[in-house]
Amino acid sequence: MKSAKPETPATKRRWRMSRRKFLIGLGATGGALAIGVAVGLPYGRLKLAEMIDSGGGGFFSMPNDPWAWFEVGQDGRFTLYISKVEMGQGVHTAIKQVAVDELGLSWDALTVRQGTTSKGPQDSSGTSGSTSVSSSFTPVREAAATLIQMLRQEAAVQTGQPAASLQLQDDGFAADDSAVITFADIIANKAGEWEVPEEPAPLKPIGSLKLVGQPQPRVDIPDKVTGKAVYGFDAKLPGMKFGAVLRPPTLEARLKKVNTAAASAMPGVAAIIEEDDFVGVVADSRPQAWAARDALEAEWREGKLWQQAELEEIVTVGGRGGVVVQKVGDVDEAFAETAVTADYRTPFAVQSPLEAQAALADVTASGARVWASTQVHTSLQGQVADAIGLEAETVEIIPTYLGGGFGRKLGDVAIEAARLSQGAGVPVHVGWTRREELTAGFLQPLSHHRMTGVVDGSGRITALEHQIASGDILFSFFPDAMAAVFGADIGVTRGAHLIYNAPNRRVTVWRRKLPVKTGSWRGLGLLPNIFAIESFMDELAHSVRMDPLQFRLNNLGDDERSRRYTAVLQAAAEAAKWGTTPTGRALGLAGIMDGNTAVASIADVSVDENGKIRVHKITSAMDCGLVINPDGAKAQMEGNAMWGVSAALKEEATVQDGRIALNNFETYPLLTMKEAPKVEAILVDSGQMEPYGVGEPPIAPIAAAIGNAVFALTGKRLRQMPFTPERVLAAEAAS
Amino acid sequence: MELKINGKTVTVNAKPEDILLWTLRDDLEMTGTKFGCGVGICGSCTVHVDGEATRACITPLASVQGKEIRTIEGLAEGESKLHPVQEAFIQEQVPQCGWCMSGQIMTAVSFLDANPNPNEEEIVAAMGNNYCRCGCYTRIYDAVASVAGQGETT
Ligand code: FES
Ligand code: FES
Repeated sequence: MKSAKPETPATKRRWRMSRRKFLIGLGATGGALAIGVAVGLPYGRLKLAEMIDSGGGGFFSMPNDPWAWFEVGQDGRFTLYISKVEMGQGVHTAIKQVAVDELGLSWDALTVRQGTTSKGPQDSSGTSGSTSVSSSFTPVREAAATLIQMLRQEAAVQTGQPAASLQLQDDGFAADDSAVITFADIIANKAGEWEVPEEPAPLKPIGSLKLVGQPQPRVDIPDKVTGKAVYGFDAKLPGMKFGAVLRPPTLEARLKKVNTAAASAMPGVAAIIEEDDFVGVVADSRPQAWAARDALEAEWREGKLWQQAELEEIVTVGGRGGVVVQKVGDVDEAFAETAVTADYRTPFAVQSPLEAQAALADVTASGARVWASTQVHTSLQGQVADAIGLEAETVEIIPTYLGGGFGRKLGDVAIEAARLSQGAGVPVHVGWTRREELTAGFLQPLSHHRMTGVVDGSGRITALEHQIASGDILFSFFPDAMAAVFGADIGVTRGAHLIYNAPNRRVTVWRRKLPVKTGSWRGLGLLPNIFAIESFMDELAHSVRMDPLQFRLNNLGDDERSRRYTAVLQAAAEAAKWGTTPTGRALGLAGIMDGNTAVASIADVSVDENGKIRVHKITSAMDCGLVINPDGAKAQMEGNAMWGVSAALKEEATVQDGRIALNNFETYPLLTMKEAPKVEAILVDSGQMEPYGVGEPPIAPIAAAIGNAVFALTGKRLRQMPFTPERVLAAEAAS
Repeated sequence: MELKINGKTVTVNAKPEDILLWTLRDDLEMTGTKFGCGVGICGSCTVHVDGEATRACITPLASVQGKEIRTIEGLAEGESKLHPVQEAFIQEQVPQCGWCMSGQIMTAVSFLDANPNPNEEEIVAAMGNNYCRCGCYTRIYDAVASVAGQGETT
């Protein structure tokens, strides 16, 4: 970080698509050998990404470079650059495990480095959606296997020994006569150009992998217990100053004019930058920048002063414009019978990474370098370049460690830092206050769910409907033309589909435009949708006096996904001793099948006389396919349990008089250890041969499991998150 | 002004009302101490002042002059010998994003120094005012409990 010497732009790359759609790149400069692979996106998805790109959307960009990039330096050392950022999910460790295993080297023989926009691979989708490990598993292995194969064949040429006889070791290959030809020698003595083969080298059988499936200490942890890890908020350059940006006071505020006289006279203020409605100050210290920003005298057109109740009314299902995203059979006909129906609501919620938005920009006439806490450095490059009128290739975005992401670290703060740096002519760091983090970003949108179902005398669901109204999640980041292609917001619909095998099923979504900025939050629609679906499954079970676990099992098919889902339900039930009732407490169950990951969670709760819920324990069972790092996967389950409890019990932002009525953590408290449940995390192995998502699916069942437990204990049904004591006391007891 | 930080006397160009957190992070470039809220709620900025866990974000320099300030950077002995609490946080693989961890560790060290054999309630009470957004609470608890009962920690 301190050595701010621009790195030379990466190696020139050549690309080829093999017969098997193995998109591989080769680069060799400065005596290093480098190869990489792109994630094997299906052709249709590539086209879609191109379209999003040309539509001006900032969220995805076309992958034009490998996802993972191995380099073997002149010294024979192996380095793996990866584009995925480390935000605590352990992705660098997991990908290193996969790579080291396939290379066949020892742990320390491979160094993993964070890629930037000029060093290492670029990828389209950023670090999101629990896809980092699953999407890289095969490409990283193919690249690793191919790299070793190329080196082995070249070693055979150079030594005159048969390739198969060469023994791989950390520094090279040992020939039969036990002479060692080092990787450094192989690369130095290579005659002519390296050629990548048409086909990737054969992969090792899964069963023979030694590190995959073993708990592995995380590579990022030592620096995180000594204060050495550098995050976006920590980035430093010589001569840097600190910036802060004026924020609109209301949701619809438009700046009329600003008087900067008082702010300019504040101590330490070096510059005030005004461009249209962007106003920011640059000062010698951060407190000075914040104070001067607060001293800006701005006049605003306030716009409509929205109230929470008006927004809730907007976010209500029904009327025209609903998009059907799942349809099996005919629910309308089935609903001629007596149907059960229930409405659920979820609140605005804030991601609240503990590290607020932060970036350091150093903009000069010829280019810019930006250190940022961001999940999407690749798309950020173009956004920063556009904002300051530079060519994208002259802008380097360098992702740091992230002090939490959770869908919020899209790097918009980097644009602010770049504009201020350009205006002030010095490197500028912008770090948001907690108040900005809670009020100036984007929120998890309000949602409303109406569930309707019919159950026959044998406890089989004959019809099930899920209607959803929600503010935008991913559509916030798409151009409208793109939204039209998708139909429904795939963020809103994540987790919305009905997996129970009722012969008649329908899911319909209404897109509701809100005056509040909304967007991605951990797991997107998973928590809201599963809160509605799995609470309602509990309601249906009780309506026919069936055990909620048995009722779910009764309504699952015997396809593979249903079997895997059944297995996690049973594993969680067994571990939590489902069917026993601890005195004064009760258990509640909920589950999810998100993509190929199945999770079931059981909450063990009590409720005091003031309506305060205590979650004593969360037992979660997850089948996420092939597990790379079981300890890392369990850590994700634990973290998701805490997130889910925090969201279910506490987290809510409301709009009052046109403002998001939040200030600091006193208005948006997070779960603490005092309220934290014990967590039992169980990994269920169904013999899958590839990994699936881990980072978000386990959040999905938590709120429903808690609500269902409260019902089991009190007979009160909670249909609105969060379950505050007031709502618990006000909830009606079932008849 | 002169401050005593991690056993060394350092001179900073600052005023008595300046806030310790920003002096540490931005003037002295000791960024191991983190900012989370600035109002004393989250605990990310916890340092020791004469051994007491103290929230640097609401601590003016005037109040720490002449006192021993200790930050996460001063916890290990030299480069290689980590403090037992740091070792425990590695052993239990506690951190996820890590942003809260300096504050968690500093809070735990001062607590265990004062109470080397705490019970469960005491640990939860002591650690219960430090936010961890990533939700590492069960592991933080396990790490602190694993050091507890092993005698003096410093
Ligand atoms: S930053 Fe000091 S307590 Fe939050
Ligand atoms: S590890 Fe991320 S906030 Fe604690």
